[in-house]
Amino acid sequence: MIEVEQLRKQYGDFTAVHDVSFNARAGEIFGLLGPNGAGKTTTIGCISSLLAPTSGRIRVMGHDVVSDGVAARRSIGVVPQEIALYDDLSAHENLAYWGGAQGLRGSKLHDRIREVLELTGLVDRAKEPIKQFSGGMKRRLNFACGIVHEPKVLLLDEPTVGVDPQSRVRLLELVREQARAGTCVLYTTHYMEEAESLCDRLGIIDHGNLIAQGTLKELRSMLGERDVLRLTGAFHPDRVREALASVDGVEIIHADEALLSLAMSDASHRLPLIFGALNGAEVRGTTLTQPSLESLFIKLTGTDLRE
Amino acid sequence: MRFAWISAWKDLLRLRREPVTLLTWIAIPSFIAVVTTLVFGPGGAQPHGTLLIADNDHGIGATMLGNAFGQGSLGKMFTVEKTSAQEGRRKLDQGEASALLVIPAGFTASFVSSKPVAIQMVRNPAQRILPEIAEEALATMLDRASSMQAGAPLIQLEATVIPDKTEQPGGFAAILLPGALFMGVFFIAGALAADVWRERTSGALRRVATTPASLGAFLVGKLIASALVFSVIGAAGLLAAQRLMNLRVANFPAAVLWIAASGCGLYLAMMLLQSAASSERVATLLTNFVTLPLVMLGGGFFPFEWMPRPLASIGQWTPNGWCVMRLRAVLAGTLEPSAYGVMAALLAVAWLASIRNIRRFAC
Repeated sequence: MIEVEQLRKQYGDFTAVHDVSFNARAGEIFGLLGPNGAGKTTTIGCISSLLAPTSGRIRVMGHDVVSDGVAARRSIGVVPQEIALYDDLSAHENLAYWGGAQGLRGSKLHDRIREVLELTGLVDRAKEPIKQFSGGMKRRLNFACGIVHEPKVLLLDEPTVGVDPQSRVRLLELVREQARAGTCVLYTTHYMEEAESLCDRLGIIDHGNLIAQGTLKELRSMLGERDVLRLTGAFHPDRVREALASVDGVEIIHADEALLSLAMSDASHRLPLIFGALNGAEVRGTTLTQPSLESLFIKLTGTDLRE
Repeated sequence: MRFAWISAWKDLLRLRREPVTLLTWIAIPSFIAVVTTLVFGPGGAQPHGTLLIADNDHGIGATMLGNAFGQGSLGKMFTVEKTSAQEGRRKLDQGEASALLVIPAGFTASFVSSKPVAIQMVRNPAQRILPEIAEEALATMLDRASSMQAGAPLIQLEATVIPDKTEQPGGFAAILLPGALFMGVFFIAGALAADVWRERTSGALRRVATTPASLGAFLVGKLIASALVFSVIGAAGLLAAQRLMNLRVANFPAAVLWIAASGCGLYLAMMLLQSAASSERVATLLTNFVTLPLVMLGGGFFPFEWMPRPLASIGQWTPNGWCVMRLRAVLAGTLEPSAYGVMAALLAVAWLASIRNIRRFAC
């Protein structure tokens, strides 16, 4: 669906994107996570053939975006970071315009306009000039204009920036629906929790370099990050140490009469083994903490995620 | 091409929803045209000035001639002032009068005895309308007086006229209206071109660039919408001028076409200027910096006839001034066909430059 090979984009001496490669498949949400200025928008700009790559190759649905740009763009829907709409037109008119730009016409266009208005919950306000819309409604319409032509590939560039929590939830659900319908979604964000909850696979990008990619689980294991299992109850620390010594890969971080903290990988699958080893101990509470994407990011880049 | 029509529809719809900017730019030249019409009257038929009469005859014939300028419709146009020939020339040189009529000594006696006699009229070269009216009126009076005598005309009028290459047929309206109309066209071209910055800032332009539709078609749409706006404004302006200012229009469709084509050319030029700016604010400043002097020089505020000759010469070669002069020719029915070719070539060049520019600007 999207194949990016050794993509490089330079502005004079400045390299905005440095030999980035990744693939995104149909029905998958591939996230590009990175701080502002990391190269996410430039990457999307190159994929949407808005920007010409300095080197490298990008194919969308098998079409090279440089040599066969029009065919590639027919498969692409873009939801830009800005609310790229006409304020003095209504939601219906905006959709008609952007649908027309994608080559839709006649009954097909009108059917799709009705469908996306329903999907985004804007049917009742379809005839109003959108300058009267709230920020969240404009964001939803911005999204609707990106999917009005049922693209096979959907590029979303930080679509939830400045959106209230309620609209954000709604938007993320709309994105999931597109992926469930078989669309290949490329989603850029600098919100960790959004990437964590939404994306099937992730690429972590910083200073134009794609420094890691994979599923969340793969990224965690790639970095040797371990889960922390905290057990509360009544324990005999010495007996616990003795019992867990026989379980591979479990490190006791803390052990006293009331609290037991253990570090291990893939803790959720190893819970029966742990409880088996602790046979006889009185466990009243269990808390499993997985390493966050933020801690992964810090470990990978050496810095916090910049705003 | 379909996307071009969709884009034109979008732009026209947006203009209809937000007409204030457009109306503001139409209001300025309309205001000037209305005020000028109120000052000079419909068709500019009743301007007012001073006619100096140097009466070296002091006879009844000379008195009757002088009195004739103080009566009826001529009396409303001229204040007659008696003076000497020398003082009259001084006042004329200082622009204090429209014309000087010098009646020679012995004028009455010669007229009564049917002897040939010449009277002299000196016109103020800085004015066009009133000196011409004075000369025409005098010629008519002398013709009538001569016809009362048997034989050939005996009174000869010697008019001193400084030739003016910019003189146009069609009178006052033909001089004033094209410039005022093009002032509006220029302002509107600037306002329409400024929209490209709004589209860029909102991200709409970038979004267009990510669709299969071409930016060329997008630009064609903008030109179609602009051409329609200029046609409507041109037609309305010409109709109003025909009705209110007795403007003579030799070929109405050709005049509207010329206004629309010129407007599109100015629009493309303004868009190139806008897109060369580093920000929307700089673009606005640049546009104002270029538009106002060009409108003034190009006959927008003052017809070329009211300008000092060197400025008028420069003004007629500004883009809008060039268009104004040719519109005058269209109105008079004297435009050379080659002018249409030049306009087409200029539009083609502006179009190619804009196409090259728009993608860079969008991204």
